[in-house]
Amino acid sequence: MATLSPTSRKTLLFGGFGALFLLIAGYVALGPDDGLRQPLQYNHKIHVETAGLICTDCHQAVQISPSATIPQLETCSLCHSGEPISESPEERRLLEFVSNETEIPWKRVYRVPDHVYFSHRRHVTRGGLECVTCHGDVAEFTVPITAAVTPVTMKHCMDCHREHAVSNDCLTCHR
Amino acid sequence: MPKWAMVIDVDKCTGCGACVVGCKMENNVPIVDPVEAQNGRVMFWMDMMTTTEGTLPNTHTKRVPKPCFHCDDPPCTRVCPVGATYRNPEGLVAQIYHRCIGCRYCMAACPFTAKVYNWYDPKWIDGAEIGNPDVSRRMVGVVEKCSFCSHRLMKVKETADLEDRPITDGEYIPACAESCPAEAIIFGNIENTESDVYRLSRSYRVFRYGEGLGVEPKVYYLARRTDV
Repeated sequence: MATLSPTSRKTLLFGGFGALFLLIAGYVALGPDDGLRQPLQYNHKIHVETAGLICTDCHQAVQISPSATIPQLETCSLCHSGEPISESPEERRLLEFVSNETEIPWKRVYRVPDHVYFSHRRHVTRGGLECVTCHGDVAEFTVPITAAVTPVTMKHCMDCHREHAVSNDCLTCHR
Repeated sequence: MPKWAMVIDVDKCTGCGACVVGCKMENNVPIVDPVEAQNGRVMFWMDMMTTTEGTLPNTHTKRVPKPCFHCDDPPCTRVCPVGATYRNPEGLVAQIYHRCIGCRYCMAACPFTAKVYNWYDPKWIDGAEIGNPDVSRRMVGVVEKCSFCSHRLMKVKETADLEDRPITDGEYIPACAESCPAEAIIFGNIENTESDVYRLSRSYRVFRYGEGLGVEPKVYYLARRTDV
């Protein structure tokens, strides 16, 4: 069996560490590619501050159905049709969607697993929760949402339920 | 606090099996292939207990629908090592699939064989892959059983809650009761003295399976006959 000289052993050792370091550095710098890139650089802040919209103007079903709904092209085209109303290149891209009548392929960020029943209607109408409670201060967001502000975990749900003295019985949410 | 119970009128039941089909469709209960079914791995939440007596041509078939009895003192919940099955304050015996480790103690403890085990990842026939989105799909290695369609209760509760009123009698019924053409399955809150379930559970025709076991099933059967 061939034996390694002390120098080559050292080279091997440092080489190994070096490769490991590069791998970790690369992962930290580039991050895992979660593939979440929204199709348009939507700016919530402008819509709230300049256009004076409120959440329910676009997320229309939040008070009447279990899902809050991502707005469809029809909702956008209520304001954006024909001539652009701003200088933004993103609006031009939106108008392309409108003129082509193709839905914008928004990526859904907040998702509960299929064995959990979550109702926006109940939380907003009955529970009186503000959107900010779970979604963060969206009105200040200048870039589209690519990651959940609040973790969608059972612990998070249960902590809030406990705080507000709401039932934590399994069957309240699990199905 | 309501307590949900069921009455099955065997005198009215024609044994058609609509409740079995309705339940399978509602709850995404997998259809097991005939070979595995022969091995005793058939999956039903609402089972049709069938016995045939006598010899041909003089036979007599008896059919009795059997869901989970949602016992008031359930033996299955006592043996579960992980708390995946428990009796909730409204008397529903729940099964939380993502907590289940598949040990099947509960299946052994249930005197009525109401629970079934997922031996395989379910295979769906063409067109049935989507199923009912209100009910989660179970994965291989967990035990499942009739839930009294508790997902329906969630929705009814929400509506009643928003309208600030109690749940009315007959507003929340499981799929089997809804699909029964003979109206032999009656469902409701047994604590409500004006409900049909309360009235019928005090009928002279009433009997329950496993009466001597002390498990207090909440499914009451009605029959004039004594041989069911």
